[in-house]
Amino acid sequence: MTVATTSTFLAAMAIASFVATALLLVVRFGPQTALNARLRRDLSRVVLPASWLVAITATLGSLYFSEIANFTPCKLCWFQRVAMYPLVVILGVATITRDARGRLYAFPLVAIGAAIAVYHSYLQAYPGSGSSFCTLEAPCTQRHVWEFGFVSLPLMALAGFTLIAALLLLVAPEE
Amino acid sequence: MSNKPNHSANRNRTAARVAAAEAQKPGGSTLPWILAAVGVVVVFALFLAIRASSSSSTTASRPPPAGSAAGTVVQGNLSTADVAVAGNALPAFPDKPGTPDPALGAKAPTLTGKGFDGSPLTVGGAGQPTVVMFVAHWCPHCQREVPALQAEFNQKGLPAGVQLFAVSTSVKEDAANYPPVSWLVKEGWTVPTLVDSADGTAATAYGLGGFPFFVALDASGNVVARTSGELTLEQFNALVVAAKGTPASSTSSVAAR
Repeated sequence: MTVATTSTFLAAMAIASFVATALLLVVRFGPQTALNARLRRDLSRVVLPASWLVAITATLGSLYFSEIANFTPCKLCWFQRVAMYPLVVILGVATITRDARGRLYAFPLVAIGAAIAVYHSYLQAYPGSGSSFCTLEAPCTQRHVWEFGFVSLPLMALAGFTLIAALLLLVAPEE
Repeated sequence: MSNKPNHSANRNRTAARVAAAEAQKPGGSTLPWILAAVGVVVVFALFLAIRASSSSSTTASRPPPAGSAAGTVVQGNLSTADVAVAGNALPAFPDKPGTPDPALGAKAPTLTGKGFDGSPLTVGGAGQPTVVMFVAHWCPHCQREVPALQAEFNQKGLPAGVQLFAVSTSVKEDAANYPPVSWLVKEGWTVPTLVDSADGTAATAYGLGGFPFFVALDASGNVVARTSGELTLEQFNALVVAAKGTPASSTSSVAAR
C-alpha cells in the first residue's frame, strides 16, 4: 500500500468512526426502546476490546505516518501521541483482566487527547496567512494529510479519541 | 464526500437487519450484525482507498506532450552535490511578513554545480532575467507547487524571456518523498534543476527563508524579488514579469554598461 492509499483508508475509517461515535451515543443516551436496550446489553460486553482495538489502530497509524511515510511529527502531534499510546496499555490490561475500572484510567487521557486534537484540527483546517511555506522545523500547521477536502491527521486522532470515549461510556459499571 | 450516502446506506441497512433479526428471534444477540456492519465499513474504506489511489496514480505522471516548449523531464540519480558560490551571499530572507527584503537590488551570487544526472549547471549571474525556485522534496507545499507549475508549462511551455531554474535543497534521506529526483521525475518536471549540497550551500547563498522559495533576478543578475511560500500561477507569472521588468531592463542595461 502506498502512503496515499493508506492515508485515504485511514481518513475513510476516521469518518466512519465519527458516524459510529454518533450511533453509540444514540444507543447510550437515546430513547429506551427494546432494540436500544438489547444493543446496549450486547455492546457492553465488547466495548473494552473494541476500544482497545481503536487505540491500537490509532497508534499503529500514527507510527506508520512517522516511521514509514517519514512525516515529522510536530509538537501538538507529540502531545496527542502521549495521550493515545498509553491507551493501548491501559485498555489492553482492562480488556484482559475484564476490569471495567480501566475506563476510569483511560477517560482523562482520552479527554486531554481529544481537546488537543480539536485545537490542532482547527489549526490545520484554518491555517493563518503565511503558512503556505515549509520551514526546517515541523510546524503544527503543516498538512501532511488532507483527504476528502477536510480530513487531516489531527482529525483522524480526534476520531480515535471520540470513538474510544463513546465506547467506554457503554462499559457496564460493574462487571 | 461521496461516501456519505454510502455510510448512511450502511447505517440504514444495518438498522434494517437488526430490526429484522429482532423480529425473527427475540432476545438474540445483535453482536453478529454489529460486527458485520463494522466489517462492511472497513472493506468499503479499503475499496475506496485503493480506487482513489489507483485513479490518482494514472493522472500523477503526465509527461509533457512531445515537441512542446516545456523541455525534457529531469533525470539522473544525484541527491546532493557540491555547489560553488561566486559572489557575496544574499542576506537572509526576513521571516516577519511585511519587512522589506534587504536583498533587493543586490547582486545574486552565481551558483555552479550539477544537475541530477551530473551535468554541469550554472544558476544566476548576468545575461538574462532569471527565476530560481528552491524546493524540498519533503515539503507538502513544494509537492503541490511543482505539479501546478508543470501543468502550466506543459500547456504553454516554459516562460519565455527568462531562464527558469529549480534548486533541489534540504535533502533528507529519512524524510518523506525521498529521493527528490524520483519525485520530480514522477511529476514530469522539465525545469533545469541544480542539486544543492548536503549542507544547503545554494540555499544559504540565496538567503532561503522557507520552502518553496523563489528569487527573481534581472538581466544583470540583481535581485528584483524574493518570496517564500506556495505561489498561485498569477503570482508566479508576476515574478516572471518582474524579472523581465520593462523599467528594470533599462536600469539593468545601464548596469551592464
